[in-house]
This record gives sequence, structure tokens and C-alpha cells, in this order.
Amino acid sequence: MPRRKKFTTVSIPVQLFEKIKKQIENTGFPSVSSYVGYLLREVLVEAHESGEMPFAREDAEKIRRRLRALGYLR
Amino acid sequence: MTFFVLGIDGASWNVIRPNLKVLKNFARLIQAGKAKEIVLREKPISAAIWCGMFSGKTVEEHGHLEFTKDGKIVKREDIPVKFIWDILKDKIDVRVLNVPFVVPPYSFNVDFRPVGFGLPSNEKEWEEELERVTETTKELLTWKPDLLISVFTLLDRVQHFHWGEPVVLEWYKKLDEKIGELVWDTGFLPSETNKLILISDHGFCSFGEAKVQTLPKRTPYGELKGDHLERAVLITVNVEEEIEQPQDVFRVLEKEFLRTKS
Repeated sequence: MPRRKKFTTVSIPVQLFEKIKKQIENTGFPSVSSYVGYLLREVLVEAHESGEMPFAREDAEKIRRRLRALGYLR
Repeated sequence: MTFFVLGIDGASWNVIRPNLKVLKNFARLIQAGKAKEIVLREKPISAAIWCGMFSGKTVEEHGHLEFTKDGKIVKREDIPVKFIWDILKDKIDVRVLNVPFVVPPYSFNVDFRPVGFGLPSNEKEWEEELERVTETTKELLTWKPDLLISVFTLLDRVQHFHWGEPVVLEWYKKLDEKIGELVWDTGFLPSETNKLILISDHGFCSFGEAKVQTLPKRTPYGELKGDHLERAVLITVNVEEEIEQPQDVFRVLEKEFLRTKS
């Protein structure tokens, strides 16, 4: 079985990084990475449990346009 | 042991059977297991059939017929049923990828963003779905989950727009190659323990021949040439139980993971 990489890099704006860094001061999160990882897991679990993928409102409009164009939505 | 349900929306015996010489992986699977045609008792509407297949409920019971209702997109939580993954999630490792009973198609325990929101509508998007579903499914197979459900949706759209054209077989060939990569190249088969159900939700025929008109003939993407046929594809490997209707897939999985075998 191939060995799976445990971590990878995701880029975020430096300004956002600094904000998060400030926010997690005096919390139990040891790093920005661990906090961002925690948040993303929360979002994904919530999305899976509710059966809804995390689509933005504008995505919903795109889906409606596709459904209309294919004839599913009249 | 991994139980792999590979769904192919719209896969049709009337394309596969006459072309088994070029669809080598379909042919190889038929040889390795059992193949049959499912004659659907319910209308061949994708949303309803996939919903019944993984909830075990008839359309009267689950009440979900189309992707939209009263002009609104139907969501998972609008359908009052427990799917097989909801029932098994605390007992086994279950992964679900791109099941099109709703749009965007539903994934469970897998981070997957469907191509074109699950409605891939041109060649570029069909290629992209083929690649991304294959690659994600291959990765999931390496994790050896107890149950993996994965669905390709592109053939449905290809056949709606191109039924009767040579390009339809070209897309079957591309899919056939991917089936080979998933089933044989990963080492999933041959195996005495791994189990496979390859299934479609309906077949295809010319637009005018279909008993049920699932979409209007003219759409902004062009005129539709094909429509759903109430005959679906089924190939099983290492699965003893008989599958007569889509709902039987649910029962086979329930029996496999919840009940003691008789």
C-alpha cells in the first residue's frame, strides 16, 4: 500500500495569517496550521452531516442555470 | 474486504453488448462475474432510481422524483430516508462519491467537488469528470474502505445529446479504460474476497422511443437525441445475492454488513 503524505501546504494571504495568529493567542491551538485545519474539518463534517456541500449562494444560481439549460428546471 | 459499488449513470446494454470486442474491461468483468439486465419497475428517472438504490425504498416511499420540486433544488435533507451510508457509518468505513440523486451529486466521508456541479455538459467537463472521479476512486480504493460507492455521470449527458452518433461509443471506450484502471490495475480484482457491483440507473434509446420523456426535446444546449430506457446494466463479481431491482443493492449491502448470512 502506498505511503500517504500526512501534510501539505495551502496558501492563504499573509494578512489573514496574521489575523488568525492574533486570534489564537492564549488559546489551546499551537499554530495557525492546526487552527485552520480544525476549522476546515468542522466545515467539512458539517457539510457532510447536513448532506450539503459547502456551496456559496452564487454557486446555487449557477446550478439553477445549468438545470434550466438542460431542461430539468422549466 | 472492500465492497465496491461502481455506478454508471445511463450505461446501456444496447451499446455495451454489440461492442464487447472494443469494450474489453466490460467483457472481462462479464467473464469474471455475472451480468444481467435490470428491467426497472419504476420510471427511469435518475434522481428517483439512485435514491431508491441506496435507501432501499420505492419511489412511493421516498417520494423523491426529480432534482427540483416546485422550482427549488431538492437537497439531501428534503428526502426523509436513511441511506445505507447513514446506517453503516458508525459500524464500518464507508466512502461515497458523486451519487446523483441530488444536484450537486452527494458525497459522504469524501471531500469531492463535482465537475460542473454534477451536471457536466460539454466535452471538456466530461473529460474532467472521467479523470477526477477515476483518480479520487483510485485513491479511496488504496485506503481499503469496507464500502465504497462511486458514480460516473457523464455518459447520461453524452447520450442525451449524441445518441445514435459514433461519438457515444468513443465515450464508452474512454470509460471502459477507466474501469480497467479502477478494477484491475489497482489490484481490486481478481480477488476472492473483494466484491463488486457495477450498475446503471437506466439505459438509453432514441428520444422518440422512450416511454418516459425525462427532459424536453429542445434545450439551450441543443436538441436532445436520446432519452432514458427502463433497462439498466448490472454486473456483479463475488456477489451471491440476486439483484432484480435497484432497491436490492441496498438490501445486499445491508445483509453484507448488518445481518448474519444465512
